Amino acid sequence: MHGFSYDPIHDEIVVNSPLSQAILTFRGAVNGEEAPLRVIQGPKTRILGMGYAALSTVTADPVHNEIFLPIGSGGYRGEGTGGPQGVLVFDRMGNGDVAPKRMLAGPDTQIRNSTPQVAVDPIHNLLVVKSNGLLIFDRAAEGNTKPLRVIRGPKTGGFGGGQITVYAEKGLILSNSMDGWAVWSINDDGDVAPRWRIPVKQITGGGQNSGIAVIPKHKEIMIASALQNRVLTFYFPELFD
Amino acid sequence: MHKKKTSVRRANIAVGVVLFTVVACLSLFERPRVRQPAGYPQLVSVQDFPTSPDWCPPPASAIRADTNLFSAFGNGSVYAGSPQSGETGVITRPPIRTIRDKDPIYSAVAVDTRYDEVILMDNNNWGLRVFNRLDNTPPDAPFTEPKRIIAGPKTDIQFNNGVYIDPQNGDIYSVETDTGDKVVVFPRDAKGNIKPARILATPHRGFALAVDEEKQELFVGVQYPPEVAVYRKGASGNEKPLRSLQGESTRLSDVHGIAIDPKNKLLYTTNWGHVSDYRIVGTGRIEDPSISVYPLNAEGDTSPLRTIQGPKTQMDWPAQMTIDPETGDLYVANDIGHSVLVFKGTDQGNVAPRRVIKGNRTGLMNPSGVFVDSKNKELWVSNFGNSSADVFPLNADGNVAPLRTIRSAPSNKVSLKFGKVEALAYDEGRDQVWVPN
Repeated sequence: MHGFSYDPIHDEIVVNSPLSQAILTFRGAVNGEEAPLRVIQGPKTRILGMGYAALSTVTADPVHNEIFLPIGSGGYRGEGTGGPQGVLVFDRMGNGDVAPKRMLAGPDTQIRNSTPQVAVDPIHNLLVVKSNGLLIFDRAAEGNTKPLRVIRGPKTGGFGGGQITVYAEKGLILSNSMDGWAVWSINDDGDVAPRWRIPVKQITGGGQNSGIAVIPKHKEIMIASALQNRVLTFYFPELFD
Repeated sequence: MHKKKTSVRRANIAVGVVLFTVVACLSLFERPRVRQPAGYPQLVSVQDFPTSPDWCPPPASAIRADTNLFSAFGNGSVYAGSPQSGETGVITRPPIRTIRDKDPIYSAVAVDTRYDEVILMDNNNWGLRVFNRLDNTPPDAPFTEPKRIIAGPKTDIQFNNGVYIDPQNGDIYSVETDTGDKVVVFPRDAKGNIKPARILATPHRGFALAVDEEKQELFVGVQYPPEVAVYRKGASGNEKPLRSLQGESTRLSDVHGIAIDPKNKLLYTTNWGHVSDYRIVGTGRIEDPSISVYPLNAEGDTSPLRTIQGPKTQMDWPAQMTIDPETGDLYVANDIGHSVLVFKGTDQGNVAPRRVIKGNRTGLMNPSGVFVDSKNKELWVSNFGNSSADVFPLNADGNVAPLRTIRSAPSNKVSLKFGKVEALAYDEGRDQVWVPN
């Protein structure tokens, strides 16, 4: 599992089941063996792929009652799916074999990646897709839509695998950047250096620092460091002040 | 109805146990102050946006410099860069907290009966630990020191989940699951940070090993896309498999264990039940976990001879598996059931296990590896959940205490059970962070 999402408004956890092409929603207080509240799965869903294609991650937008599922080409290790590369958007309350509300895909979107990741900014109404850079769309974009802005180029320092997130209250995007973490503004456009960078591998020695959680309450960020099987907490008040 | 129920149970397992909460701070039972549900945008906060072109650094903190966290790091606040300057504020302070289990997490076990040694796979610290077979950690001892450890960057051991010991020369075979995608082979007396004697590239997500000594063939069970790839036992490098068992008819799904019955020429696999063809929309489904049985020489899209599957089986994330060639008893490490299930190799359908080793006296916690020591009539079980391995009589049944236990952590240890953490989610209301395994 390369990403999942907590919905603070409805107190739910939204996760993907990569090998069975499903999105599962559980109570936020779930513990032990408990049935999901809802399961999105079936031919109408258009979900295609596995952990390295579709279903690398899933992101809830509780404000707008939607669930965003990025789908990629796969082919990271082995052949790809041959399917579209983009983002499927489901109604949060969808259950069973349901069609997505909309789909963002096509050459103009610039989403071309084996494992795209997404983050939603419900305040500024934006969707950020990591796919060979950071592609910033209107949250409700669908079809073959061009991004509003693209953060890409040598000054960015590059991007790595793993989650991305938006700290919407400050309009900031946090993305993995070559085994560290970097922060851009949602208003950045083009070949832009990040506002901040935490070179996690350089500091801690651990690789594949792919997961992120923003903790405003303590002015911290937590980073999942996969290769050393650990979770690191960085004090990062600058992000919140 | 029942299928739906069990499917839901499977789905539940996939998260209810995969995800567990690490308490990050205080107020475990504090309820969240949530926003009101809405289907439209709502005002969350009003803040100055700090990254506009005319943005200025914030004023100095009112808190004395020697009383805040920065003083501990010996540096201060790092101002953000801006598009105009092209510079980036680099945060170099170390993490203030680390959640990490430094003890071994044992994914698999095997015994070298010629030398009376037990080899445990440490999935957490990427190593192999070798103990005396008769080691037994006293209840008040924190751990037992291994005789040898094979670990370090030269070894190429990474998230290892399946082990095989050559009964003739003691060679140790280890399959590297996620980032490794290979089988590494060490000589029996290997120690420390050494290169493997042999490396064989295998498909991504290899999870289990078995060898047909008569035919000198190495079987590698692959989680997804589900497959059993069969190589020459002495294969290395990028050598291709001799044959491969895969396809919809095989009913392989999320393979986590394989076993060989050389006497009856049979191959067994454990399947978690997560099914899909990643190239075809809508093929995803969640089935009951199962054991499927094939001819030992099966290849291609071959249907199983029979399948053990259904609620009576008690299977719940069935992991590694081993067979007693003398009795035909099939031992299954039943991870989420905290049990070892014993079937007959001839069983099929929705059948109850012949025996179940389970209960508070057993010491079993998320068992993921099993090994039958036919010579000494013992069953070895490695526990993913508590840094230990237990040994039972081969005929053990019910809530029985192990004959011996090798622990690598204190007796009350409960492992973090991290299995390559790649994502996080924060629950602000409970002040907890979710960590998937």
